[in-house]
Amino acid sequence: MARVPITKPSTFAQYATLLKKDLRREFRTREMLTSMGIYALLVIIVYGAALALTVRDLDIVRMSGGLLWALIVFTSLLGLGRSFAHEKEQGCLEGVLLVPLDRSVVFLAKATSSFLFMLAVEVVAVPLFFFFFMTTAAPAPTLGLIVVPLFVGTLGMAGIGTMLSTITMNTRARDVMLAVLFIPIVFPLLYACVTATTAAIVGADPWTDFFVMPLVLAGGYDIVMLLVCWVLYDFVVSA
Amino acid sequence: MNTILADIYSTVIPSAPFIIAAYALVWAALLVYVIITVSSLKKTEAQVALLEEAIARKAE
Amino acid sequence: MADSKKVKLPEAGQWPDRMLVPALALGALLTTTGFLLAFFWVAPVNGAKLSEPVMVGDVTVTHVQLLSQKIFYFHMPVAIVSFVALAFAAYYGLRFLTTRQQRFDTCGRVAMEITLLFVVFTMATGDLWTRFEWGVWWTWDPRLTTYLILMLIVIAYFVLRNAVDDPQRRATYASVLSILAFVDVPICFMITRVIPSSVHPVVAREGGMSPEMAITVTVVMVGMMLVAFGLYRLRFRQARLAERVEALKEQIEER
Repeated sequence: MARVPITKPSTFAQYATLLKKDLRREFRTREMLTSMGIYALLVIIVYGAALALTVRDLDIVRMSGGLLWALIVFTSLLGLGRSFAHEKEQGCLEGVLLVPLDRSVVFLAKATSSFLFMLAVEVVAVPLFFFFFMTTAAPAPTLGLIVVPLFVGTLGMAGIGTMLSTITMNTRARDVMLAVLFIPIVFPLLYACVTATTAAIVGADPWTDFFVMPLVLAGGYDIVMLLVCWVLYDFVVSA
Repeated sequence: MNTILADIYSTVIPSAPFIIAAYALVWAALLVYVIITVSSLKKTEAQVALLEEAIARKAE
Repeated sequence: MADSKKVKLPEAGQWPDRMLVPALALGALLTTTGFLLAFFWVAPVNGAKLSEPVMVGDVTVTHVQLLSQKIFYFHMPVAIVSFVALAFAAYYGLRFLTTRQQRFDTCGRVAMEITLLFVVFTMATGDLWTRFEWGVWWTWDPRLTTYLILMLIVIAYFVLRNAVDDPQRRATYASVLSILAFVDVPICFMITRVIPSSVHPVVAREGGMSPEMAITVTVVMVGMMLVAFGLYRLRFRQARLAERVEALKEQIEER
């Protein structure tokens, strides 16, 4: 009887497969992207009501960084909550865990797919925000640099959010629990990214203090938190 | 009291309530925690007594 | 069942408990001493400059004497003790994850309670100090913000513990959260401190402590550590007793 050669797929191949599974699923149903996109639009409409009386006197250019990041946080909470809901409903996560792989690969794949979805929503939400609130305002020439804090911040939020939504997946009141855990832990990252984004929009002076330093700190946060989550994910997902 | 002295100690009277409140809050919170712990301890000891009775009854 | 490596579990009623009463007594004594020192021995901190110096007793006084700064002698020690308690909670979380013994989960939970208690102290003293100094009830300065975040994370810890039913799973999630909190808090402090806030100036009184101030702070800090240790052992003893009662109840029902 011939022997069937069995080769264990490399870690990268495992990671790529899991990532492709998530992306394929999303492209077929487009469920999460559309709901996140509509949610972003709804938050902007709420902003419209909230700022209706003051929009003429308000220095919208200074506030836009903060408003933008609040929008991103709320949309991310929605997306992160959803990303594990269907895994639990269909029993997909249990299936994946049956494979003898390093659990941290699951973490990386999930975090990457959440990151990509959040980026996709931001590509839509940020121009939308500018369309609704900033057509009359005059941002500084460094406006294009807001891409960097958006990238760094979303990366950190995706990592921490994946870990936290794995934890809260099995609790009662899943979404509220996620928000209660996510917002305090992500606060330093949020703070740094808002500062950097506002600096880019406003053209802050001194530049290093308001743009470079917060980004360095946010990057440090990302690295430390992603490392900690990478190490601890095994315990969490096997519980 | 001349005005200079009054100026020196001008922060004392207005700040006194806050300082007293700060220390009093700390002391009160500590007391509350100790009271909660000790009352839980008493309740648990009462449960231990009940359990001992139950075991004694079952042994008969 | 061969235990090649026996894990030594923390238990109530061991040698630390014999130190419980002396520790609490010493702690109370030290904090009271520190309190008295703060008000009667340490020189008050100088505030705004007076229009002309004046003789009080036999000392030339040139500045307004601040009394509100006295809160600092309790505020900093409790802040440091709360962080130490958080470190212990994270340590016990790590030990639970590596050994899977429920006992460490109990230790971690009690340590988190002590953290919460001391964080509340920090917030109360800090907030009242800010109210007097700056006239506002809240400023987003580094210390207060970091402690608000810490308080929220610790409250979230207890909410999470309530929301999970399975003991093993609950302990795992709680341990991971305590480790995340321990890593997050210094980062939060660093970030809020380094990034300049244009609204409120950083309340910086840390620079330049006179020796008497340092002594008073150290006295109160050691006292508070002893109080925290005593409270931890007391609460741990009560928690262990409650656990043993539950185990006994189950045993009786099985028979």
